[in-house]
Amino acid sequence: MMKNERTTIITAGVVVGLIASLLVYFGNPANMGYCIACFLRDTAGGLGLHSAKAVQYIRPEIIGLVIGACGAAFAHGEFSPKGGSSPLTRFTLGFFAMIGCLMFLGCPFRMLLRLAGGDLNALAGLAGFAGGIYAGIYFLNRGYTLKRTYKMTPAEGGILPAIAVALLVLLVAAPAFIHFTKAGGGPGAKHAALFVSLAAGLAVGALAQRTRFCMIAGIRDFILFRETKMLWGFVALTVAALLCNLTLTAVTSGSFFKLGFAGQPIAHTDGLWNALGLFLAGFACVLLGGCPMRQLILAGEGNSDSAIAILGLVAGAAFAHNFGLASSGAGPTANGQIAVIIGIAVVTLIAYLNTYKK
Amino acid sequence: MKQYIATFFSHFGAIRFQRLCTQLGWPAQLAPVPRSLSSSCGTCVLFQTAELAKNDLGQLITPELEQLVLDDNGYSFLYTAEE
Repeated sequence: MMKNERTTIITAGVVVGLIASLLVYFGNPANMGYCIACFLRDTAGGLGLHSAKAVQYIRPEIIGLVIGACGAAFAHGEFSPKGGSSPLTRFTLGFFAMIGCLMFLGCPFRMLLRLAGGDLNALAGLAGFAGGIYAGIYFLNRGYTLKRTYKMTPAEGGILPAIAVALLVLLVAAPAFIHFTKAGGGPGAKHAALFVSLAAGLAVGALAQRTRFCMIAGIRDFILFRETKMLWGFVALTVAALLCNLTLTAVTSGSFFKLGFAGQPIAHTDGLWNALGLFLAGFACVLLGGCPMRQLILAGEGNSDSAIAILGLVAGAAFAHNFGLASSGAGPTANGQIAVIIGIAVVTLIAYLNTYKK
Repeated sequence: MKQYIATFFSHFGAIRFQRLCTQLGWPAQLAPVPRSLSSSCGTCVLFQTAELAKNDLGQLITPELEQLVLDDNGYSFLYTAEE
């Protein structure tokens, strides 16, 4: 059975990697077939929660991930509404995970896609990410817990999937109060056609629900148990996206792969802050129990703890742009550096208080 | 010897349970929860012992324990925490 699981996860990794690479071909920003942090940030912008005009678009991938996971969970009798495990702590962890991701300019998923696009700055991110996971595991092994979850009503578990449907309606109806980055105005203007993005989201949402795919679990399970199957999924995703990027570069007029540090799309070259950004994200996500994508999938399964974490991520994204915390191609901002330091301090305090002071 | 799987509400619950198994002289290891068993945290304990009688369960059930499962060509649930 274990061997079978590994094959399933590797296959899922390959499919997800290919879809992610193709989404760029179909119009998404470079090395950003998927980026849960960026897409939640764009969605927050689309709703007017921040006013950074370059990054405003309700991303159908996010909607698809939640609804795809919800559908797969229903189809297999795994829709299980639960929650009630330290909600405000989870909100705060989600908030600072986003601050870390926007320092790096990508969630752990985009970190892999940046590597697959030849962006070597992502290696600094990967090192920081692994360090953050180590930090989280330090506390896990010493008793960290956010207390147990409880069964909730289907009404509670259905709220986030319902919000996803509402977002789809807003995107399609496009009333005047929904914001769209103007053509050529920034990453928010770059997107695949709605139905392509939505279908990609649905497919990956269902796959991730079935396989429990998680960017945190790969490294975490390897450190904790020397268990490599999720790590292989991680590698499969990256290699599949890399090969697809190379193929696309060869057979189309576009450029989907460029090896090096300088001049990478939607990225900066400050290694220290790339590492610290994903250190913060990795640390916060281990304490949450999963990466931002996994939170979306769990929320689709009816988990309202994960739904709260997502609201935290969205709030973090809105604050990041309102307060000038998010990096840009020019590099990190001083405000962002202060916010990441505060974030690391707050997440460490949360870890400490929920480990030793129960 | 029978193969059992215990799942938990927290990773630390699993660590404590593994220590308990070791004290009882049962071979036990921490592992990721099998995909086919859903649980709150991603860590389970796989342990082996002679068939557990109802009376044996009391010492194993803690507030951290979510499910206790006998893995014998399919799962039989011996204990599931109140929801």
